[in-house]
Amino acid sequence: MSAAPPDNDVLWARGIVKSHHGTPALREVSIGVREGEVLAVTGARGSGKSTLLGCLSAQLPVDAGEVWFNSSPVHTLGRAGREKLRRERFGFVGSEPQLVPELTARENVALPLLLAGVGHRAAYGAADDWLERLDVAACAKRRPEELIRSQCQRIAVARALAPLPRVVFADDPTAPLHREARDQVLRILTSAARSHQLTLVLATHDPELARYADRTVALVDGRTPVPATAVRRPAAAPVAASH
Amino acid sequence: MFYLRLVRGYRVVDLGRWLLTSVAAAVVAAFLLRALGRALSDPPGAHSAPERLLWCLPPLLAVAWFAAVAARALPAQRAERIAGLRAAGAGPVRLRLLIAGEIALACAAGAVVSLLLFLVLRNNIAGPGLAPELGMGDPLPPAAPVALVALLPLVGGVAAVCAVPGRDALPQTRPAVTAAPFGLPRILLAGLLTFGGTLTELYALRPAAAEDPRPLQLPADLGHTNALLLGGWAAATLGAALLTGPLLAGVGRLLALGRPGARRLLAGRGLAALAPRLGTPLAVLALTLAVVLTAVRHWVAPGASGTGPLPAAEALLVIGCASAAVVARLTELRAARRPVGAALLRLGAAPRLLAAATLLRWALAGLVLLATGGLTAVLGAALLT
Repeated sequence: MSAAPPDNDVLWARGIVKSHHGTPALREVSIGVREGEVLAVTGARGSGKSTLLGCLSAQLPVDAGEVWFNSSPVHTLGRAGREKLRRERFGFVGSEPQLVPELTARENVALPLLLAGVGHRAAYGAADDWLERLDVAACAKRRPEELIRSQCQRIAVARALAPLPRVVFADDPTAPLHREARDQVLRILTSAARSHQLTLVLATHDPELARYADRTVALVDGRTPVPATAVRRPAAAPVAASH
Repeated sequence: MFYLRLVRGYRVVDLGRWLLTSVAAAVVAAFLLRALGRALSDPPGAHSAPERLLWCLPPLLAVAWFAAVAARALPAQRAERIAGLRAAGAGPVRLRLLIAGEIALACAAGAVVSLLLFLVLRNNIAGPGLAPELGMGDPLPPAAPVALVALLPLVGGVAAVCAVPGRDALPQTRPAVTAAPFGLPRILLAGLLTFGGTLTELYALRPAAAEDPRPLQLPADLGHTNALLLGGWAAATLGAALLTGPLLAGVGRLLALGRPGARRLLAGRGLAALAPRLGTPLAVLALTLAVVLTAVRHWVAPGASGTGPLPAAEALLVIGCASAAVVARLTELRAARRPVGAALLRLGAAPRLLAAATLLRWALAGLVLLATGGLTAVLGAALLT
């Protein structure tokens, strides 16, 4: 087994195994995520990216192996502990926006803060700020069904970033988007992560998009064939978030 | 055969729907056959047969209503099965026929059981008390019971076919949870009907009007009334039913007013979003509960002439169907909202908070049911005094 992880790993997993109803998704994956980095997890569909993100972000319990966040174990946490972690430390953007349809954009962004018990004024203030930063302030009062896909996805990004989590997980956040919208969402996500010192774990099936990341881990059939620390790319120039 | 294979995957909800449809159809078939039996044993020239058949209409409508709501709920409840059938090449028309066929089959099963019972009891098994109800001793024209019993699967199937919208049967598009909100004309019309109807009835009940003639005889020993009273009550009842949906939406919006926390926000907005789908079954339930309970109260009041067990059975059936329709709609909405719940759980929302929001939502829906049903019941009770 590998030695103890370096101190600057905010999140790390060792030998995690996970299967869905008998179908193996992850077979002994070990990975470390450093504080403040943008880590891309690449791989074809079905290679276990989503499952890995689910296990790291305390959504799925692992079958075997360990997951540690901030030097405390995640794999031993109960359901309530994992919910608290997701609520207070993690943010998540999926490939679908998954907004609550009956809430306005502003309320959707404020919801995680309200769930975490933040006051009304602070929650909506943060929501307005992030909608502004992601250039969707004009949609604040509108519902997801009145908005187009890329706007919804930007609202989902705002929702994940508004509570200023330690780690943001983005599971193929650009899957339903066109090329321009795709680049825009990723630029916003990565630049926001860098400017707020958030750690970003980005799963994508498109190796081209890994250029936004500091480091890339490839998953093949639920395994990491290349050691996770192999590729180190220069950080992309941070792009000022549009107003 | 194909249908039987599908049935093997049935779970409690599906079996419950099957059983309820069958039982309701069996009861309605029994009503119809009893009307036939009485018509056979009545002396020639008696004119009560059409009236007896008319009495079978409310339970028949209740079964059709339940069949429609249950059929409408199916695509959302069993999205994966619909997707599988679609992938296997079944088009929207065939899916619709399959769903309607299931309802019709359940209706036919219940009706046939009733018919068999009717035929067996006619063979001198029933006592003399039941003999006139079954037309015992009179020759039975074979077409009559078959026609009556075939009516049930026909009504149930047609109601189901009409209720399943084509787009819901498609797995690609998720069934719409948020229907169009209520327009101002609908709200205005409902409010006007309720208000106007109540005022008309109150006017007809003013102390000076006690001597007004009451020429209209209500069915089922409910006494006499006049057109003004009856019209006022009918308008107010219709208005209250139409008002149920907008009232649900309004209460939901009211709940989320001010500076709501997560629970109040989710409960209120959720109720407002569900109101268009939930309003109609709730309105039907409120209406039937109010009408039936008012009638029952009148029947059991001291000094009232007793009625037989048949109106009670009919009342029970109608209330049962209306309640089952509400339950079917609730399961449908629950299935359709599963992705929203999953998204909220992913955000780290505690299941307890989501359950509390749901509970709050249903408590408010219950209050609306009480309000509209209560208004209808009070006005109905006033009509019968």
